[in-house]
Amino acid sequence: MSDPLSKAATATEIARAVASGKVTAAAVVHEALSRITLCEPTVNAFTDVLAERAQKRAAAIDAGKAEGPLAGVPFAVKNLFDIAGLPTRAGSKINLDGLKAARDGALVRKLEAAGAILVGGLNMGEYAYDFTGENAHYGPSRNPHDPTRMTGGSSGGSGAAVAAGEVPLALGSDTNGSIRVPSSLCGLFGLKPTYGRLSRAGSFPFVDAFDHLGPLARSTEDLALSFDAMQGFDPDDPACTDREVGPTAPMLHDGIGGLRIAIAGDYFARGGEPECFEAVATVARALGATKTVVLPNAAAARAAAYVITAMEGGQLHLPRLRTRPQDFDPDTRERLMAGCLLPGSWYVKAQRFRRQYRDAVLKLFDEVDILLAPATPCSAPRVGQAMMTIAGVELPVRANLGLFTQPISFIGLPVVAVPTRKAGAMPIGVQVIARPYNEAAALRVAAYLEKQGVCVSTPA
Amino acid sequence: MADKLDIARWVDEGAKAIGLPIASEYRDKVILNVERSLAIAQPLLVLELDDELTPLPVYRP
Repeated sequence: MSDPLSKAATATEIARAVASGKVTAAAVVHEALSRITLCEPTVNAFTDVLAERAQKRAAAIDAGKAEGPLAGVPFAVKNLFDIAGLPTRAGSKINLDGLKAARDGALVRKLEAAGAILVGGLNMGEYAYDFTGENAHYGPSRNPHDPTRMTGGSSGGSGAAVAAGEVPLALGSDTNGSIRVPSSLCGLFGLKPTYGRLSRAGSFPFVDAFDHLGPLARSTEDLALSFDAMQGFDPDDPACTDREVGPTAPMLHDGIGGLRIAIAGDYFARGGEPECFEAVATVARALGATKTVVLPNAAAARAAAYVITAMEGGQLHLPRLRTRPQDFDPDTRERLMAGCLLPGSWYVKAQRFRRQYRDAVLKLFDEVDILLAPATPCSAPRVGQAMMTIAGVELPVRANLGLFTQPISFIGLPVVAVPTRKAGAMPIGVQVIARPYNEAAALRVAAYLEKQGVCVSTPA
Repeated sequence: MADKLDIARWVDEGAKAIGLPIASEYRDKVILNVERSLAIAQPLLVLELDDELTPLPVYRP
């Protein structure tokens, strides 16, 4: 149990302490704002700090005017979430010239309805087309465990803010790995829910086919608590499911009994540095998982995810690429331009293949409940590093940190990224993957690993 | 497999076709990114799909 005013405090611990009257929400917010002031020169996680708004909200909670399971918990959001009164940057300079958001994004409203307190907007790779956490306009977010290294992206500020202990909880988005990659490189738990499970209304889009939103935290309880608070149908997001809400917190500590757990082989067992496979082996050992299964055509799934992303992203930004190319991040601009020029036949083929791959992977879930796979092919590269050597092959960092996450989000499976860390080394994560809408099973496995001390997240 | 010259032409002609001006200082990196995309897309492009395989529609009337 951490001191609820310390940087190690989890959202759950803070909520309990506020609810019991042990601390006030005002004191919690004061400490969070102080830590932000202290850490920002090093980690560069925030683009907007909402001190006045957060203090007012804390005062309302302390006055008994707001309550909920997250009452008094400070959180921050990747700056592609709408924040009332601010332009929605989405990591860009261009969007600063756009309209200010009239109201908060749907998930911000849901977390605040549960009592949480928004303290700011977070740095990110421009327009979310990024796995590094770097940004030419606002500077790179830096890994709190070693500021010379990347946070991973594109939810880089989300990873940095939680790993530094500035806030216990952050929201990110994940199109191809943008929650799971920074979770891996920053040593956090991250939840990418099933596609369509959480509303994306009031967030700036990237690739509609794959865009997901979700939380990053330092405990599985925080993931479950926040995820449960954010669930629910929203007609403002056409992809949002109208299935019944599936609470996860009540069964979080049910253990792993009855769950059939397997390791993803073939594609997911090569093309990475030894540390990523050691991390999977460590987690598998702790879970008693020995079976290996093969996701058929995972390389083609990664290829198809890449094609759909490049083409949807390029098309989305084509008007701005025509008129304001000089205002894009140079690391994003030419990738988006290239995406505009790929043949339409590739896109249609990728979408057709998506159905085949989905059917084949869902069939695997007749035999298993959970799949384990690396989250990233390596631990955090250095800030500014453009190329990396993975399994002896030189590859661009920006396009390849997500090569193990892309085949999973491609078909919208829910994943919890869990952290591992060897003494003296940087953290690296493992994907705990479940069948669609079974976030509860992935969270149970993550909670078991946390309880066993195999996957632990501590602030830098 | 297209060589670099073909991709340069692909970029130049494609950009014209969609009305995307590409300044000379951006052109080489656009070509490089199309080359990379072509390489990354290969595992998809070489697959043969059944005629009956249709995409999963997201659109719901």
